[in-house]
Amino acid sequence: MPEGLANRLREHRAERDLTQAALAEMVGVSRKTINTVENGVFVPSTTLALKLARALGCSVESLFSLAED
Amino acid sequence: MSSTDHETAERLGRKRARLLPLFAILFLTQQASYFTGPNVDTGRPVDHIRIAAWLVMSIVLLLVLATGGGWFRSRAVRALMNDEATQVHRNDAFRFAFFAAMTACVVLYVVGLFEPLGGRDVIHLVMSCGIAAALVRFGMLERRAYRDA
Repeated sequence: MPEGLANRLREHRAERDLTQAALAEMVGVSRKTINTVENGVFVPSTTLALKLARALGCSVESLFSLAED
Repeated sequence: MSSTDHETAERLGRKRARLLPLFAILFLTQQASYFTGPNVDTGRPVDHIRIAAWLVMSIVLLLVLATGGGWFRSRAVRALMNDEATQVHRNDAFRFAFFAAMTACVVLYVVGLFEPLGGRDVIHLVMSCGIAAALVRFGMLERRAYRDA
């Protein structure tokens, strides 16, 4: 996990019964990218974070937060 | 982008991740045979062909690294194969390759103090180090990303 960043993408995706592939299709990226974001290997750009939040119907802040929060 | 595009991009991306380190090994093997040959460049036609083959291979591999490959696929598939995470991996691979090439330069500079080196041989070695390092690094990062995906 990149230092100081926490993400709840996996939880939000699971709540909506979406697979990684389905979410990837909704935001127009590869499944690999969704996987690396969920695993905290890759920090997405603001654009991708906004797309993910829109696809999951939540705010960016609920998906990503500073670990100290 | 259709689900078929996503499946195609996933398949090609995995294949690329598997093949890039193999390309690096093949590329370096070819270089080893070049430098361990009886005479590196004697001006014979066969030497020109060998050098031209290396140059063509280097350019093709550089283009694969720079563009991500999938040249004959649709724009949608290529976009998926080169999405955000892939671009980050590519940037990291290029940074890694730059340091590998600079390290090769330092080593060759020191070697050059004790033994004369030809300009073409030096370029050959530096390019080979840089390209192979980028291929291995990019392939490794991509493989790691596909793991568990």
